[in-house]
Amino acid sequence: MRNYISAFAVMVGLTAAAPAFADGHLSLEGKTIGVAVVGTQHFWDREAFNGATSTVEKLGGTVVPVDGGRDNQVHADNHDILLNNEVDAVISILGDGAVEPKFEALKNAGIPVFTVDHPSPHAMNNTTSDNYYMGTTIGRYMADAIGGQGKVAVFNAFENALRICGIRAGLWKYVLQDYPGIEIVQPELAEEFANAPEDARKKTLDLLSQYPEGTLDAIHVGCWDQPAIGVVQALEEAGRTDIVVTALDGGPDTLEIMAEDGSPFVANVAQQPNLIGSTSAMNVARHFAGEALLPQTYVDVVPVNGQAEAKATYEALGYGSLN
Amino acid sequence: MQTKSVRHRGTRELAGYLPLIIFAGVLVYISVNAPNFLTLRNLELILMQSLPVVLVCAGLGVVVMAGGDDVVSGGIDLSIPATAVLSAGIAAVMLTQGWPLAVCGIAAFIACMIVGLLNAALVTRIGMTPLLTTLAMFVAVVGVNNVITSSRRINVDHPFIVALRAQDVLGIPLGIAVVAAVVAVIYFATHKTRWGLHLQAAGGGRDAAEISGLPVRRLLGQSFVLAAFTGFICGFFVLARGSGSSPGVQDNLMLEMVLATFLGAAFSARRVVTMWGAVLGAVLVAAISIGFKSMGVNVFWTGLIKGSLIVVVVAFSALAQRGR
Repeated sequence: MRNYISAFAVMVGLTAAAPAFADGHLSLEGKTIGVAVVGTQHFWDREAFNGATSTVEKLGGTVVPVDGGRDNQVHADNHDILLNNEVDAVISILGDGAVEPKFEALKNAGIPVFTVDHPSPHAMNNTTSDNYYMGTTIGRYMADAIGGQGKVAVFNAFENALRICGIRAGLWKYVLQDYPGIEIVQPELAEEFANAPEDARKKTLDLLSQYPEGTLDAIHVGCWDQPAIGVVQALEEAGRTDIVVTALDGGPDTLEIMAEDGSPFVANVAQQPNLIGSTSAMNVARHFAGEALLPQTYVDVVPVNGQAEAKATYEALGYGSLN
Repeated sequence: MQTKSVRHRGTRELAGYLPLIIFAGVLVYISVNAPNFLTLRNLELILMQSLPVVLVCAGLGVVVMAGGDDVVSGGIDLSIPATAVLSAGIAAVMLTQGWPLAVCGIAAFIACMIVGLLNAALVTRIGMTPLLTTLAMFVAVVGVNNVITSSRRINVDHPFIVALRAQDVLGIPLGIAVVAAVVAVIYFATHKTRWGLHLQAAGGGRDAAEISGLPVRRLLGQSFVLAAFTGFICGFFVLARGSGSSPGVQDNLMLEMVLATFLGAAFSARRVVTMWGAVLGAVLVAAISIGFKSMGVNVFWTGLIKGSLIVVVVAFSALAQRGR
């Protein structure tokens, strides 16, 4: 039943977002919009990028796209190119602290910056998922999945580097405060930003040799779910699929893994990256139409608890069918 | 017969200039199509973005000079980018712990020198291949840096680091001035001093140099230490460029270093790796990347376009070399 409710909720969400596209007065005609994305290898990044660029074009604007190749440094440097190009506005997707001085330079040059998943004092608006809800929900789901007690290892490289990760991992830990029986294994693991699945696979295999059968109950990925692909691979290789895996983002690749029979990957919270990118582009148009914007625009997320909900969400978000 | 050979030579010489002509053509095309490409600000942007690559290219240039330009058996040092991120990582961690900049600099310097000396010892004392030695060193040093930084991003806003990025001196950005000075000193040392001439002689023909009594192994060893020093300096530019240390920077840096240095050889008259060729290669690769991005080329295509261009240039260079 729950999966139908989630599916229904998503459809309502999408319908509710639809009138925004019908906003006839919004236009980016004659405007050049720089769209900087940290990488296009991962579903989330690519979809947010596609959502932003296609909406800018739909509104009559011209896109100057730049791709960081999953390198935060290259991503930050790309903003200099947009500054030199004298674009009318910049949509910047993800990125770490390296982008802040670039945002400041753009702002000082009179070019408004709109961020996706990166709150910044130099941005007009940040469009993002409801990260607070994501963090607490995955905390509850994970605690439930291990019966409220046990040992948990966490991949948490970005809690201090990216604000969105600070919120997600921080609130996950906040929920766990009410489960004194759950212990977070120290030191926490740090996944790589590029090649995350392979890196997480190796680190999980090392972890498993450190924690023999029966001494580890869950592995959580604190801010996204690309590493979880490697975690699940490692658990399957080592025959340790009794260990529960939870993570965040819920793209089609990880929903497919969750939908497999007997998958250790039991809980996730799915985002709508295409809608997020598209909403950010709409916000650019709203800004040029003289509308006041709130500092943060939140886009709905879909909690995914278990195999059935994974299948339902996969369908509801338009990724196809897994039945 | 004679006219045929003259014509052949003419074609060969033209083929020799083709790499430069192709690059010039692409740059002209970009400047016509990309807005604000031929502006002082864009030139500054290109130079600023290429600074870390220029530094490591200068280091690699010295090693190739000393060891010869055979990629497998000659002089090569792939570990310089790892040394650079080690320098950045140590400085970032220590700066955030509140240590004075000078102390952080000394600690990073010592660590980088250890890497350089290890490379030198492994290659010249034990006789390992530079390619494998420095590749293994790259992996090991990145590992050490991951331990030091816990593979995490560290923000740095120390005034010196910010100045390297944003300060102007007499109208020239401080970063460009510092790198120009470092490259000029290395150029002077390798081209205008007795030591530099010995170094070049060692790389040009190892046997001949040994027969004439030059300490070939010691010279090669010294080149690895000098390369590690460029890595040390580069670390601070990595911090300045990224306003901190982000994990993973070394991979792109290594790729660009190797590309720019050997692409640079295509621009030299004798098709050999030179310091200026390497520096020019680094700047041109940055110029072309920035150009394509400014033109709004589809992001899914830029990698292919850049890669093909480099293959074409190096292929023409090899053709010209074969005809010689």
